Amino acid sequence: MRVNEEAGRIPHEQLGVALAASRPPAEPSVRIRPNKPWAPVDLGEVWEHRQLLLLLVLRDLKLRYHQTLLGATWVVLQPLMMTLVLAAFLGLMARPQTDGIPYPLFLYAGLLPWTFFSNAVLGASYSLVTNADLVSKIYFPRLILPAAAVGVRLADFVIAFVALLAMMLYYGVRPPAAGALLWPLVVLNLVLLAAALGALFASLHIRYRDVGTVLPVLLQLWMFASPILYPSGLVPEKWRWAYYLNPLAGGVENFRAALFGLPINRGALLASAGVTAALVIYTSFSFRRMEDEFADSI
Amino acid sequence: MRPSVSVRELSKWYGLARPRPAGASILDAFGSALSAPVRRMRGEARAGRGRLWALRGVSFEVEPGEVVGVVGRNGAGKSTLLKILSRITRPSAGEVDVYGRVGSLLQVGTGFHPDLTGRENVYLNGTILGMHYAEIRRKFDEIVAFAEVEQFLDMPVKQYSSGMHVRLAFSVAAHVEPDILLLDEVTAVGDAAFQRKCFAKMREISRKGHTVFFVSHNLGTVGDLCRRVLFIESGRLVEDGPAQAVLARYAEHMAPPAA
Repeated sequence: MRVNEEAGRIPHEQLGVALAASRPPAEPSVRIRPNKPWAPVDLGEVWEHRQLLLLLVLRDLKLRYHQTLLGATWVVLQPLMMTLVLAAFLGLMARPQTDGIPYPLFLYAGLLPWTFFSNAVLGASYSLVTNADLVSKIYFPRLILPAAAVGVRLADFVIAFVALLAMMLYYGVRPPAAGALLWPLVVLNLVLLAAALGALFASLHIRYRDVGTVLPVLLQLWMFASPILYPSGLVPEKWRWAYYLNPLAGGVENFRAALFGLPINRGALLASAGVTAALVIYTSFSFRRMEDEFADSI
Repeated sequence: MRPSVSVRELSKWYGLARPRPAGASILDAFGSALSAPVRRMRGEARAGRGRLWALRGVSFEVEPGEVVGVVGRNGAGKSTLLKILSRITRPSAGEVDVYGRVGSLLQVGTGFHPDLTGRENVYLNGTILGMHYAEIRRKFDEIVAFAEVEQFLDMPVKQYSSGMHVRLAFSVAAHVEPDILLLDEVTAVGDAAFQRKCFAKMREISRKGHTVFFVSHNLGTVGDLCRRVLFIESGRLVEDGPAQAVLARYAEHMAPPAA
């Protein structure tokens, strides 16, 4: 080991940074023990790692449109093209009643939150599996990965929202002042819903790769069960209560209502928030329970 | 002196799946999944499964500033030990007290993205390893100088040679300044000159009172760097003592029996 014997002779300047002396704390900073089954996810720890969350979001934003021609323009083009096609077909054939809102505008205002929700859930569901090397080699709160996937889609949502404002200007639809207060709450509800479901599917995805196949189909069905292409007024009165158990129904309907100054459906909004809260609580416990096994079974 | 890491009766096992009976259909699998909670309540499920012990009743204490080598055959449990210490996986029994921040480099270049530039990767990787943005910015020039990749900073990492890649990854990890640094077979790469730098860096880290765990199959390196060595065999800690004595035992153990 001639090589190693020389190691001691390297002058200190060559080593670069002068390290700070380590001062270990008197109390253990962490006590590692076998699983403690029922506890929610430690959100304080996630908050401590918020810079990591931000960097992962920036990484994915940077990489997604790497080697594409149109780059971030796709974020607007994708729902816009959907809107054009659907408006041409459904608008001419079905002529849905949309409370005086021009059908293309109505559609885009539905496709916008839907695209966010569906892409966020799908992206989050893949976040742990595609970052398997991180999960199995480095410790950090695992919730960061699905949360970052939702963050990426939220950035898309903000860009695509600017196109919505432009459309409203074009059609002369003015957002009411009252909507400005409600609107952020409606979006927050959607973000939490997407994060909870995304994290739940992400943890299931580790054990059951079927999630990758089944989830896109489920989401497709979910779109038709939500007021994206049609107003919820089309649903028969006696089935409305069941319809609003779908948290997206109240979410999307009130998203439009807040923007276009239509009457707010309080009951639907509360039902949506209730289902979201239940899912957030369920996921925070189940994710915490399953995350101990991620590294072993990924 | 206060310990830096205290490990008590640590065990880790993996449940082995029972072999599926021949001709079992998906319906049987479904039925067995349905009845699993009942079996678990009766305490049958656990007993029915075999256990693969990765670690079994391991106990030791390490003081701040110690450089501890960990040796053993492939699959002996070395990596599992480091994974538990870094909280990547949980133990099945026993407990560990960790005093201070843990930094680990279990595989060189984890979290590096080939399409991002060297500069972007330093920030991303540093953050993944637990550094704050301001801390990385402060140490950025030193990290880059240590890795000797100054001219290639704005090039995507996929165009780096494997040596450059490794140097940059090690450099980021070595500048995290954790109280406890876990290294798994990571210095085996890079040329002799860079290895010398790595070893000198590790000595400096330990002089400042940081604890280092060093897993390697290169016994010469272990003997050179570590004063104390843990020898793990089939999940059990069989030797724990001064480096030269334990390494001699290990070498004896590994030697093929005389014909």
